[in-house]
Amino acid sequence: MTEIALLGRRAVREVVRMPEATIPTLFIPLFFLAVNIGQVSKTFPSSTPFLHGQGYAAFQIPVSLLFAVSTATSGLALVTEIDNGYFDKLLVAPIRRSSIIWGRLTADLVRGVMLSVLVLIAGLAFGVHVKSGVLGSVVLVLMAALWGVAYAGIGLLVALRTRNVQATNASFLVFFPLLFLTPNFVPFDRLTGLMEALARANPVSYVIEGLRSLVLQGWVLHKLAICMGVIVATGLLLTWLSVRTIERFDR
Amino acid sequence: MPAQSEMAPAAIEARGLERTFKGGVEAVRGIELSVAAGEVFGFLGPNGAGKTTTVRMLCTLLPPTAGSARVAGVDVLRDGAEVRRRIGVALQEIGLDPIQTGRELLELQCGLYGINGADARARAEELLELLGLADAADRRTKTYSGGMKRRLDLASALVHSPEVLFLDEPTTGLDPASRLTVWDEVRRINAGGTTIFLTTQYMEEADQLCRRLAIIDNGRIVAGGSPEELKDRMGHDVVSVGLNGADPAATQAAIGELPGLERVMVEQDALALYVEDGPASIAEIVRRLDRTGVSVGSISVARPTLDDVFLQATGRRLEGDEEPAAAA
Repeated sequence: MTEIALLGRRAVREVVRMPEATIPTLFIPLFFLAVNIGQVSKTFPSSTPFLHGQGYAAFQIPVSLLFAVSTATSGLALVTEIDNGYFDKLLVAPIRRSSIIWGRLTADLVRGVMLSVLVLIAGLAFGVHVKSGVLGSVVLVLMAALWGVAYAGIGLLVALRTRNVQATNASFLVFFPLLFLTPNFVPFDRLTGLMEALARANPVSYVIEGLRSLVLQGWVLHKLAICMGVIVATGLLLTWLSVRTIERFDR
Repeated sequence: MPAQSEMAPAAIEARGLERTFKGGVEAVRGIELSVAAGEVFGFLGPNGAGKTTTVRMLCTLLPPTAGSARVAGVDVLRDGAEVRRRIGVALQEIGLDPIQTGRELLELQCGLYGINGADARARAEELLELLGLADAADRRTKTYSGGMKRRLDLASALVHSPEVLFLDEPTTGLDPASRLTVWDEVRRINAGGTTIFLTTQYMEEADQLCRRLAIIDNGRIVAGGSPEELKDRMGHDVVSVGLNGADPAATQAAIGELPGLERVMVEQDALALYVEDGPASIAEIVRRLDRTGVSVGSISVARPTLDDVFLQATGRRLEGDEEPAAAA
C-alpha cells in the first residue's frame, strides 16, 4: 500500500502542477453543453415529460460529466514516462508493477472529482437543479469521477501495448461512439429502432441513465445500482488488463 | 574472461547469456562474465554492441533468451525482486520525472526502497549534498542541466546503498567537466565497497575507472582483462604510418620485416605497426620507405591504447570516441 500511496501522491502532484493538461479537457464538454442547450431548448421545453420539469441542461449534464472525465490523460502520462526513461526507473525498483497502475488511477480519481465539480458548477449556472439534493450532487460527482478511473484503463492499456504517444492520444476517440450510441440527446424510447438497440447494448448508456436519475428524478436505486455495476465491471476489466500488461512488459 | 580475484565472491556472474529480439536480431550472443565484489568492471564497446541489452538483462528489465545470470548472488530469472532490492541502476536514458523537484524525486525513490519519513528526508538531503545538488534541490528537475540530471539520476540509484551499481554510459553526452565529476563519484562510491558495472564507449573512461574490463562487439565479448594487461598484449609501442593515399600493400612490403615487429594492422588510410622499440623503428621505417621510394603522409609513435586492443579484436577502430576526452 505504501508504494501505491507514494506513486499516487506523485501523480496527484502532477495533476496540480500541470493544470494545462487538465483544463483543456473541460472545453469540449462545456462547448457541447452550451451548443446542445442552445439548439434544442425550444424543441424540448421544461414541460417535456422526460425532463421532469427541468430545462434541457439538466438532461445533458450527465453527458457533459462523462465527456469531461473520460480522458487518456493517465495513459499519456504513462507513455511519456516510458518514453523518457522514468518508467524503467520504476520497473527496477523493488515494488509491485501493479502499483504503478494504481498510482495513476489515484490521480484519475482526483482529476475526475475536480473536473466533475467544475462541470456541475457550469450546469448550475445553466439552471440545473439536482433533484437528489446536496448528497445526490456528491454522489453524482463521485460516480462520474469513478467512471473516469474505470475508463482510464483504456489509455493505460494502449500506452503499455503501443508505447506510442500518438496512439495513446488517439485512444480518446474510442469514447465518441461509446458516448453517442446512447440516449444522450433523448431517452431510449425516442430513438429509432437500430439506435435504440445499439444504445441498449452499450454499457455507457446505463452510466448516463444512473447519473441522469440523480439530477432529474432523485434517488432511483435500481438505476444507480446498474450504473455502479457498469462502472465497477468496466473498471475491474480494464484495470485487470492494464495490470496484466504491465506485469508482462518487455516479456 | 580472466578469472576474477581469487578471494572475492562474484558480484555478477553470467553464463551463456543471450538475447534475440523479435525479427531475429541477436543483440547479445552468449556472454560469459564474472565480476568480483568491490571492483569497477568496464563493459566497453561501440553503439549497438549489446552493452545496454546486457545491462537490462542483469537488472531484470529484460529476460534473456538463453543462459543464466546471478547478481549479488541472486538468480535474475528466479528471484528478480530480490535482485532489484540489491542493485542500483542508472540507465543510459536519464530516468527523471520532470514535474518533481530533485528532493521530491529522491524522497519518493527512498520510499520505493522502504526508507520512509525522517529517514527518507535525511537520506535525500545527504545525497543532494554529496552530489552538489543541494542548491537546486527544490527546483523541478526539468530545469536541471544535463550534468545535474545525470548526478540526480546517480543519486536516485544510490538511495538504498546498493551492493551492485549498474551505470549504463553514465557520461555519454556530458561536457568534460561534468564527466570528471561523474568519474569522481564513481571512484567515491566504489571506495565505499559498492561493485560497479559500467558500460562505456569511451576508452579513456574505461582506462581511468576500471580495474578490469570486457570489450564487446556485435553481441560478443572479444577481449577481456585489466586495461594494462590488454594493452601489454598488443606490444610495447605502436608506430602509426599515415598513408595519405599510398598503397597499403606496397607500403607494408616496403617496410618489410622490422626488427622487433610484433604485429601489423592495416586500417583504411594507415598502418599500425606494433613493435618492441618505437623510436628505433621509426628511423628504420623512414630509411626503408626512402630506399623504395614510397611516400607516406605521417609517422608517429605511441603506447598502445584500448582502441588498439579493439582494432586488434574487431578489425576496426572503436566508434563514438570522438567526444573530447577528459583529462584525469
